[in-house]
Amino acid sequence: MTLQHRMRAWTRRRFMLAASAVALAVTVGGAPAMAQDKPFAGTKLTFWGGLIYSEAANKMLVDAVNAWGEANGVRTDVVMINQNEIVQKLSAAVESKTLPDAVDLSLELLLVLSRQGVFVPIDDVYEAVGKEGGGWYDAVDKASAVEGGRTGLPSGVGGNLLLRRTDLLTAAGFDKAPASWDELVAQSAAVTAAPVAGLGLALSNVGDGNMQLSVLQSFGGRLADDAGKTVTIKSDATRAYLTWLKGAWDKGVFPPGNATWDGAGDNQSYLSGQTAFIANTGSVGLAAKKQDPELYDATAYSALPAGPAGRISPIMLQMRAIPAASTNQAAAKALLAHLAKPEFASAYYEQAIYGPVLKGEAKFPVFDGKDPIHAGLLDLVENGTAPGYPDVYNAAFADAFSNFIVPKMAQRVVIDGWDFDRAMDEAQSQAQVIYDKY
Amino acid sequence: MSLSVETSAAPRRARWLNASRRVHLFAYAMVLPAIVLILGLVAYPFFYAIYVAFTDRMVGSVGNWVGFANFRYLAQTATFSSAIWNTIVIVLVTDVLKLLIGLGLALLVNQNLPGRGLFRAFLMLPWAMPAFVAFLTWRVLYQPIGGGLNLILTQTGLYPHVIDWLGQRQTAMPSVILASVWRGFPFWFISILAALQSIPKDLYEAARVDGANAWERFWMVTFPGIRQVLIITTLLSSIWTANAFEHVWLLTQGGPSDATMVFPVLAFFGMQTQRIGEAAAVSVAMLPVLAILVIVATSMLQKDED
Repeated sequence: MTLQHRMRAWTRRRFMLAASAVALAVTVGGAPAMAQDKPFAGTKLTFWGGLIYSEAANKMLVDAVNAWGEANGVRTDVVMINQNEIVQKLSAAVESKTLPDAVDLSLELLLVLSRQGVFVPIDDVYEAVGKEGGGWYDAVDKASAVEGGRTGLPSGVGGNLLLRRTDLLTAAGFDKAPASWDELVAQSAAVTAAPVAGLGLALSNVGDGNMQLSVLQSFGGRLADDAGKTVTIKSDATRAYLTWLKGAWDKGVFPPGNATWDGAGDNQSYLSGQTAFIANTGSVGLAAKKQDPELYDATAYSALPAGPAGRISPIMLQMRAIPAASTNQAAAKALLAHLAKPEFASAYYEQAIYGPVLKGEAKFPVFDGKDPIHAGLLDLVENGTAPGYPDVYNAAFADAFSNFIVPKMAQRVVIDGWDFDRAMDEAQSQAQVIYDKY
Repeated sequence: MSLSVETSAAPRRARWLNASRRVHLFAYAMVLPAIVLILGLVAYPFFYAIYVAFTDRMVGSVGNWVGFANFRYLAQTATFSSAIWNTIVIVLVTDVLKLLIGLGLALLVNQNLPGRGLFRAFLMLPWAMPAFVAFLTWRVLYQPIGGGLNLILTQTGLYPHVIDWLGQRQTAMPSVILASVWRGFPFWFISILAALQSIPKDLYEAARVDGANAWERFWMVTFPGIRQVLIITTLLSSIWTANAFEHVWLLTQGGPSDATMVFPVLAFFGMQTQRIGEAAAVSVAMLPVLAILVIVATSMLQKDED
């Protein structure tokens, strides 16, 4: 048979048939292996990632989810949600039944929505990730426990550090961070001269304003009793806190506008050089590093000051959860486990303002102490207090927290000029109504 | 047999479906989509919100019927009382100011002045600007340090101290009102101007011939000519202002304390804490006020027509 003859024998139809047979054989033969390697192949997964102050971190998260999707044959749709708007977005999604397959959210929101059965328990992922990462930090482990099973996987620790302008304070004779709230006021008063107002703490109805609860607790005040049922705001300790607050207010150490600041008010105030102290997660430091290196160099970080009852420096947890309505829960679990792996987490922490949640993560280069912000966050997770402490961190607490009970009480005293008893009575009754619901 | 049935049924159908009925049916068919849309997009959400206001519904839960519990709770809170009072103050004061500014400018621009077309377009700018941009700009102007208003006051020596416009109880509400008036007066201006231009010129001539002075011409000729427009504009503006969210939210978020708290912001806080029942109760509590406003305005318009 000549070559020409053989070529003619391979007609187009024969070639197509042969190719199809080979393809079929490969598909059938390889299918079990593929199913083993890519059990979620062909599925779709929507992930609502937490949009934070760092563009690099946001991009890294999106890229990591998409790369995981590609590697596993999963079509991923990543939507980055500003964490200031997550309450509204997630509430709307719950009501309209358009929840994603996995979502980043705060522990407070997780706690409230978990009571409504919005999220599935992921104890298995929690256990596996914890084991692989050297164990969860105690504070993280205790705080993230939700009644009826763990419904969230901790993904980062935030909290307030005290940022201070060393250039102004050293010139005024203060070389050390204030150890108490009284010292803080004294140092603030020493550097207050227009346009600088020393103490840039928010007293408005935003998350930053809720730091006043920590101040109140460090004076020995509590939101509720040990059972987490009866509100105990009206107390001598709260009176002591309000006395401190009113004294500081009357000294003029708070910057104008701090009772109506939005979530970025303290950031802007510090970055524009109008305040000497703020309490912040560290995002301001990151912004200063890029926008104003001089300010960054002049900034020092320390733990929050202590009150008569000690230092209250609560950690805030960022969580990842899987809605019960998700039709792709297995893939979502795999994604959550993937994002907790050191390969991604180590690089992500470099760009994001979060402290570690797993003990093994403390060995990441970013936590080696060279970067003061991350060093502060590591210190926070190791030595900070659990969320809500000494109060019981339950859904009622989270609800009262979201209602800005303490900053509103503070505003009654400094803005409306109410006497302490009247302000405490209002806060007490409003908080009790909330606690009675749970 | 079958033929007789057909012949007896056909005239009956023809009688029932006569030309007049066919026109009516066609008309109903034409308005049916609109009725369905109104029922689905207006009536259903409206009555559903009223229902939810009587439940303890939270995000993710069906909620239980709690009767007037949400309203009782709201009535007990000082913030709710502030919201009622502040909403009334904002609506009344901004309406009066917008009326005075809108009417004054409309009367001015209605004169035969050079460049009035340009002036008219210029006056519409605040209305054309997105509310979000407008109120954020006002927020920057009100900044205690570096804000435009304080810079003007201190640089010109009019007032040497920094004023915390949005951060003090005494100045927060006037500041919100000023920004709202600035944003909203063009609607009044353009509505009144349109009404002024529809008044026949010979009425003014006749009044002049009768010896009417400027005030008498305004009161006897201009005012009756724009009365209906004023009623409708007041009604619309009041509803919009009472329902407006962005001006207060972007400027003060209802603070300091509850100095500028209004119904929509209070409802939003309810939503933010996932308590849908309470948030709906706040919105429903506004209904009687708005309903009274609508009834009064409608009856005034009816009286005018009669």
